Amino acid sequence: MFNLAILKDTVGVHPSNFGIAPDTALIAELNKKYANRILHDVGLCMCVFDLTQVGEGKVRYGDGILYYKVVFRLVAFRPFRSEVILAKVKSSAEDVIRLSIGFFDDIYVPTIYLPHPSAFDPNERAFFWLPEAAEEEGHVELLDSDKDTRMYIDTGEIVRVRVESDEFFDDEPGPPQVTEGIQVKKEPRRSPYRIVCSMVEQGLGNTSWWENSQALEDDAAMEEG
Amino acid sequence: MEVVNARSALLSNYEVLSLLQELEADHLARTRTAVRIKKEEEAAGHTSTIIPGEKHPSNVEVIHNLRTVEVEAIQHLTAPHQSTVRQSAEGITGLTRALNQYELTKAEKLQIVNLAPTRLVELFVIVDDLAARFTDEKQEEILAAVEASLGAVPISVDPDAGEDDVAMDASNPSAWDSVDGMVNAADEFDDKGEGAGVEGDLDVDDD
Repeated sequence: MFNLAILKDTVGVHPSNFGIAPDTALIAELNKKYANRILHDVGLCMCVFDLTQVGEGKVRYGDGILYYKVVFRLVAFRPFRSEVILAKVKSSAEDVIRLSIGFFDDIYVPTIYLPHPSAFDPNERAFFWLPEAAEEEGHVELLDSDKDTRMYIDTGEIVRVRVESDEFFDDEPGPPQVTEGIQVKKEPRRSPYRIVCSMVEQGLGNTSWWENSQALEDDAAMEEG
Repeated sequence: MEVVNARSALLSNYEVLSLLQELEADHLARTRTAVRIKKEEEAAGHTSTIIPGEKHPSNVEVIHNLRTVEVEAIQHLTAPHQSTVRQSAEGITGLTRALNQYELTKAEKLQIVNLAPTRLVELFVIVDDLAARFTDEKQEEILAAVEASLGAVPISVDPDAGEDDVAMDASNPSAWDSVDGMVNAADEFDDKGEGAGVEGDLDVDDD
């Protein structure tokens, strides 16, 4: 889930922080700038791991700020493709399940990555999986199935998912658009980083599905063998 | 800003958790020191140099975005469904050594450490093509190695207790001071309460 990224930056230390040890002040400055931010192609920054190289502080004309050239290591959240992670179901919509891991919640499981056959139950606002249903059954019949055989993916449940892909979006805010003197409302911005996950395989999905499931384990082993 | 290497190394959940808990302990220690300094100054009759909401010259300011991600990530990593609560640094070192004898990729080893699979089906998800690459005995051996690396399931999760341990371990001298300060403050408070009660009792006895 977590990586170490090496970054280079120039950091200014304000005179009010001259009383603090320079490394502490620099780490605080860097954390202020990077913590809980998404860096394009790096991931979600957690905190500074350590400083690798710090140049000499220089004061430039104009402000009393001491500027340092710093090379540092940063802890970033960016699961690699095919990594298995545990997450909590945040919400379900007709086309997607949204997962959360507390500090990050742009994790999505689209319908194509749900265990087959599964369907969305609009009454429960949750997806369910019918492990016993035959492959050729359609969605209409799935919704007619017996409620006891359905395995729901309810909000708040812990699921095990595999990371399929991740995307970064760097949308520019752009100038405000005005048509005939009226400001046009902009469409909501995409989240800058999103992860798409899958629950298709054996062992993925609700963690409770796979507890005490020796028979399924054997099946899985047989399938592979 | 320049990215030199976006992925220079991988970190396990346990490493990140201990780093975040250290930050959390530092933050607590700093807040306690600030409170102590303020109390001492007030006791000495000065008006406090600490203005609420502003930083003290000897302290770094509180970084709110860092606090947010720190607290949320600690919550996630210490949740009961995570194996990190049962892990220890020694356990993980032992586990990685034990895993070296099997032909596992780096990513697979990392995930075994992070997720600590104790059931075959969990291992099956992590290791690609498990049945073809490892015999049944080998699979059981890996699971046993994982099980051996885990500590007991904590009965009650007490986040404060964990943080205090870290605070005591921290080499930062201010952590010690602040802990002492807290103890003293607590004692003073207790003394007052108990003292009043005892005196009251004595009075009753005298009567």
